[in-house]
Amino acid sequence: MGFRDVSWVAARTNAWDAIGVFSYGMLSAFVESFLFFLVMTLLGFLLPWQWSIDKRIGSLSLLALIVSLWAVTSQLLFLWNVGLPVGAIDFLRNSGHPLRILYAICLGVVTGTVLLPVYLFLRDKNAVAIMQNLLERISLLTVFYLCFDLLGVIIVLIRNI
Amino acid sequence: MNRLSRRDFLKFASVLPLGLAIPSVAKILHPLPFLQSRKKNVIVIVFDAFSAYHLPIYGYPRNTAPNISHLAERAVVYHNHYASANFTTPATASLLTGALPWSHRALHYYNTVTESFTDKNLFSAFQNYYRIGFSHNPLANTLLRQFSGNLDEFVPWNTLLLTTDGFVDTLFKRDEDIAGVAWTRAIKREEDRSTYLLFLSELYETYMEDKIKSFKPSFPRGLPNVKSHNFFLLEDAIDWVKRDLTRYPQPFLGYFHFMPPHAPYKTHKDFYETFADDGFRPPVKPEDFFTEFNPNKKLRRDRSWYDEFILYLDREFGRLFAHLESSGMLEDTWVVLTADHGELFERGVEGHVSPLLYQPVVRIPLMIFEPGRTARTDVYAKTSAVDLLPTLLHVTGENPVDWTEGTVLPPYSSVEPRSDRIIYSLNATRNRPEAALTNATAMIVADNYKLTYFFGYEELGNGVERVELYDIAADPEELNDLYAQKKETGSALLGQLKEKLREVNQPYT
Repeated sequence: MGFRDVSWVAARTNAWDAIGVFSYGMLSAFVESFLFFLVMTLLGFLLPWQWSIDKRIGSLSLLALIVSLWAVTSQLLFLWNVGLPVGAIDFLRNSGHPLRILYAICLGVVTGTVLLPVYLFLRDKNAVAIMQNLLERISLLTVFYLCFDLLGVIIVLIRNI
Repeated sequence: MNRLSRRDFLKFASVLPLGLAIPSVAKILHPLPFLQSRKKNVIVIVFDAFSAYHLPIYGYPRNTAPNISHLAERAVVYHNHYASANFTTPATASLLTGALPWSHRALHYYNTVTESFTDKNLFSAFQNYYRIGFSHNPLANTLLRQFSGNLDEFVPWNTLLLTTDGFVDTLFKRDEDIAGVAWTRAIKREEDRSTYLLFLSELYETYMEDKIKSFKPSFPRGLPNVKSHNFFLLEDAIDWVKRDLTRYPQPFLGYFHFMPPHAPYKTHKDFYETFADDGFRPPVKPEDFFTEFNPNKKLRRDRSWYDEFILYLDREFGRLFAHLESSGMLEDTWVVLTADHGELFERGVEGHVSPLLYQPVVRIPLMIFEPGRTARTDVYAKTSAVDLLPTLLHVTGENPVDWTEGTVLPPYSSVEPRSDRIIYSLNATRNRPEAALTNATAMIVADNYKLTYFFGYEELGNGVERVELYDIAADPEELNDLYAQKKETGSALLGQLKEKLREVNQPYT
């Protein structure tokens, strides 16, 4: 998305402005990541202290991954303009309690896709090791991401001096 | 009571011819400043992306502007008025400097004019006036900020917003244009249906939507907005102008640039669906080479939305005008109604961000309301946005400037409009502003003919150029390209245009 914007902006202003747009994007994504990290850290305090550190990190990481996947799905649904089918909307309209039903469905979906995997993760002894392995691989990507972020911050600073 | 003696009567009668002669003498000497008891104010109202093609006074079948049509009966109405470019930055820069884009060089989004033009603008020319500049549009705001040294009041674009991402501008003051664009891309899903941010965009949207929820019922398509979450009401802007006009020291020059009917087309509920089923079918035109593949059905729907948005601005302009009249301000004020550029809903293209310079995107409204005028005058001569600056200087008795490429508009000019007047317009978004023009679309209008010249576009093929010629008097919809048939006319116009390009490229080669 960022690379596409770079060419869009470059065609309309210049390459330096295009790099600027990309840098601000990286900066805002970094701020979001940091806030997300903070929320996850706070959630960590709610987990039982009896759990091992690996287990706590693993369960929170799994939660973060699932929530991120949901956010990506939400954006994709918006991007593809996918909404509720007409029949479902009619059903909700005629039900008399559309909001209650929607909340109930959301609760069901959240339970099924977030809480259930986390619960299963906690029960499976191999899951912690698998998750650790996955996190180590992702960490490599994160380093690249942080490099881009740092570059973005430097460019934003230069543009604002 | 004393009766008038014969002697007194004769004295009185002797000065009568002098009294009768004064108006004629004044007319000849007008507008020399010493004859004016008080300088008149000037208000320039610009509506963004406001196409002349969509106004009933210019022949549009839909009644999109009943108030403007009514007010036109006491204005000078220009029927063939052209923007100098097809989007805000170069077009507004031309309007404000009286110079064509290849001279002021504000060719790209968020560009400013070249340094030599910083102090050559409408505001510097009216230095004896109290000058106010405001624009809803951030692109025009960038120009106003550049000219702020010549403004007594520069009102930033986000001043009149209901909600604002203003912290971005505050935080990144030195780079607010690009920071604003980036923020829009990062947070606003509606802009491109996707954002950089996964979570914050949704949270932020919910928060911002909540702040404007009380206004939502009045705007079924959503509240009018500028980039991202900068929602506004035109009513607020008009009320602000009405209120502050009484505060300004006179004479004043106010430049007020409002966003409607620029996209997104979100009209007031009073005009919602007004044209939805009116049976109007605009002419279907062939897809252009630069088509964006918008289907005709979408173009028709969005055209209706745009037309309904015009109804909204028409009502608000009517409200402002009524205030000027009732407050007596109209007696001392020149009011100009115009646009920066137009809008396109044809040939697979919607909006104005394209290399195309068809009539709906370059032909803009211009109406001048002269103090005390009660009758309508229609001007059919070809005129350009760059003419506004010299004209306003002329009618207010201010000193003319030497940098403008425009001329004093009829009927205010003491000379008849030239029949061989040439009008230019340009789109050069892909061309570096500081380089010679090698990749652009240039338009020349002379007599009844309009020639459009596309050069340097990769899509056309290496070295391939595209030229179109239309007889805009006989074929105002530009359906019959005559370039192959009228070789002589086409070659002459193309030669003239190329000569002009060579001339303006000289300092850059």
